[in-house]
Amino acid sequence: MTDRASLLSPTRRRLLRATSAFTALALLATLAGPAATLADDAKKEGGDITFLIDSLGDTWIPNNSAISSFQGHIWGHVADKLVYVDAQGQASPWIAERWEQNATATEFTLHLKQGVTFSDGTPVDATAVIANLDIWSAGRKKEGINPIFLFPKTYERAEAVDAATVKVFFKKPTLGLIPTLGYHGSILISPKTIAQPATEQADLSKSSGSGPYIVESWKEGDHVTLTKRKDYNWGPAAVGHTGPAFLDTITYKLVSEPSLRIASVQSGQADVAYNASPQELSSLKDEGFTVATPRYLGFVNGLAINTKLAPYDDVKVRQALQAGINRQEIIDTVYTPDWKLATSFIQSNVPGATDHSDLLVYNPEKAEKLLDEAGWVKGADGVRTKDGKPLLLTLHSNPYLAASKSIDELISQQLGKIGWKVVIRAYDVVTFGEKVKFGGVAVPAYEVTRSFIDAGTVAGILTNANNGENWFALDERDTVINDLRDKIASADTLDARAPLLDALQKYVLEQGYFIPRTEIVQRIYVQSPALKGEVYNGVAYASYYTATKSEVGQ
Amino acid sequence: MNSAYLTYAGKRLAQAAIVILLAYVFTFVVVSILPGDPITSVLRNPQNGFSEEEIAQIVAAQGLDRPVLEQLWSSLSGFLTGDLGLSMRSHRPVTTMIAEVLPSTLILATSALFLALVLAVVVAYGTQVLPKRYGQGLLRAFPSLFLSVPNFVIGLVLIHLFGFQLGLFRVINPDSAWATFFAAVTLAIPISAQIAEVLIASLDHEADQDYIAVARGRGLRPFRLFTRHLLKPSSLPVVTVIALTIGELLGGSLITETVFGRTGIGSHVQRSVSTQDLPVLQAVVSLAAVVFVLANLIADLVYPLLDPRVKLLGARTPRSPASKPAGASAP
Repeated sequence: MTDRASLLSPTRRRLLRATSAFTALALLATLAGPAATLADDAKKEGGDITFLIDSLGDTWIPNNSAISSFQGHIWGHVADKLVYVDAQGQASPWIAERWEQNATATEFTLHLKQGVTFSDGTPVDATAVIANLDIWSAGRKKEGINPIFLFPKTYERAEAVDAATVKVFFKKPTLGLIPTLGYHGSILISPKTIAQPATEQADLSKSSGSGPYIVESWKEGDHVTLTKRKDYNWGPAAVGHTGPAFLDTITYKLVSEPSLRIASVQSGQADVAYNASPQELSSLKDEGFTVATPRYLGFVNGLAINTKLAPYDDVKVRQALQAGINRQEIIDTVYTPDWKLATSFIQSNVPGATDHSDLLVYNPEKAEKLLDEAGWVKGADGVRTKDGKPLLLTLHSNPYLAASKSIDELISQQLGKIGWKVVIRAYDVVTFGEKVKFGGVAVPAYEVTRSFIDAGTVAGILTNANNGENWFALDERDTVINDLRDKIASADTLDARAPLLDALQKYVLEQGYFIPRTEIVQRIYVQSPALKGEVYNGVAYASYYTATKSEVGQ
Repeated sequence: MNSAYLTYAGKRLAQAAIVILLAYVFTFVVVSILPGDPITSVLRNPQNGFSEEEIAQIVAAQGLDRPVLEQLWSSLSGFLTGDLGLSMRSHRPVTTMIAEVLPSTLILATSALFLALVLAVVVAYGTQVLPKRYGQGLLRAFPSLFLSVPNFVIGLVLIHLFGFQLGLFRVINPDSAWATFFAAVTLAIPISAQIAEVLIASLDHEADQDYIAVARGRGLRPFRLFTRHLLKPSSLPVVTVIALTIGELLGGSLITETVFGRTGIGSHVQRSVSTQDLPVLQAVVSLAAVVFVLANLIADLVYPLLDPRVKLLGARTPRSPASKPAGASAP
């Protein structure tokens, strides 16, 4: 070997040596890494957890982040909210210790907890709260900072009564304010952060909240590591703990491959895997893993029908659709018993949701009878026709919900039996956004997945009043729904509003405007049995503020 | 000679600049043709519930409703002055985003290239020294085998075997040494196949030459023969292939990085394509163009070192020696 080396010319030999040494060093340097990390993990007292997630969103500008789907996990630990809303939709005090409203629900007074600070040292006082209310409501569009969509559009202004009291004014009655303050978008961010330009806000490490954790490190598209804030003592009373968190750190790590997320939790390399596929859940439960399928407050998953498009302008056809879908079969085939039957078009845990299961019973005979009455005649191929046109339904599978296409395929079979011809179109997110809209020209049914926190906002969305979304393309044609909408909007107490909401749900389902499929579960957690005590809020986000991790199960 | 070389180098540099510029404009055109824009597609998520008017307002505020040529001009003038702009999705400076992930991709790509070279030389050596009947046939099948197994399959098998079964690395810590090593192996296998294929063909050709017969006749041992007489003259086409595989290395790193959960240039490509984040995409494409052009330039400059017959004559350098056998072209 030595004489071989001597045959090479001195310069090339040096080059060769240098290159091999460099490569060997590069490999060795990375080798030293993991051993140290592993040893650290075992020693720490409070424990560290790793949460595997399929996306960390696109931007960390608080208002623009994907707060309803992914980044809400992180914001929920880094920032506090004025109000806490639990899984049953009950609002309770958090940073706002108490609140009052005037008789017409146009003025609200919020009394803030004293001594609360953001992690940059700024106090969470009236000035800070007003800065937040303003940016939620208006954003800074020129800079590319969006408003928070669900923040009431009736907002006028807010003023500081004193350092710990804020008065909020609305142009119209806004019963939804208090629950909306507990929504995932309404996170309190330091006014110093808010004052920063968008590019600075996009750097998560420069954002300060008042939450139980602070950002220790982050890398775009890779991970966010949170570390406990030791002086935190203003947690929401509703979760039964107000002091500092127990776990030392939480790492949200992006792993886009679903099977790797699950396998990592199974092999003990991580503690929580987010968004497992429904089919895997029962075997994971059998293996001893904790499986959580919390429901958020919002609409159920279902179809908003375009009443302008024939034949769905005919109430009998819509009612036949309502009766022709076997919802239990969807749960049995596509989902697991963790999913619940829809009892209205809003989720049953929303305060004000009422049970209208009787309107959602699977009754193919009734559906066939309604179609016969509407003049749709079954042909030799089993497809009904009228004036030479087939009874057609085009479904656009929602790209934001994993099981959507499987459900559409099942519905296609169910409706096929009673004479429908169903066409399924599955688009990617971009094309879906371009082509599929409520009441679109070629969109007889729009598949809804949407959370909200106060049922009072529902009526406005369904119709076209006040920039509403006109889900059923009714415009101003249906006076019943318009009347209910106006009464709900002007209701000044929840008691006065409840019967109106009930009437609205009954009417929308009876008319076949909204065809529920199942109650929606958009967040699925698979968790190591060693991790316990997490709390799920009204938008189905897991908070590990109260969680602890035992040594067993490592 | 010197001025000829300068003219040559100048020409090559000008060519390189044009390639990079064209890549930049081409990316812009392709993304502009696609329907939608990055901001609208986020806002249109039904979870957000923005009205079309609100979306139009926000898009206008971002200047995305301006004429395409105007947008191209402002983006191009930024690029020429070294300003890569802000990502449309994350609102962060593109330069920062690239700088964050570049080391990870560089480590992966260089380790993969090194491993691929070692693997290719070992396989090629085997085909020259092993008995024809037993070892050789098997080794000669290796390149086709390596090429036909998809990259991500190799990656997933390695992860499950060494990550989960043997616990050599934590899958969620993809920058650790073992994880990097296996990611590099995943990336190296198909690349080594191409190098090996060319090297084997070239070695076969050289082995038939008279001087090798003479060397053999002098009683040279196979290893000496291989390292001293065969490898160097056979490596010219290999240099060409390596320069071409740099592109593959970048493309392959996209899949490997995704499978192993590494955050690198590849994951930026994937994300910026799927979200139509034009500034990031343009930066990454330009970076790839720079790397590709540089690699080929270096290859051209290395040829004369390997084979004195290759000379810079002011004109284009021959990319391969005249004696290159027919079978030695890249697959």
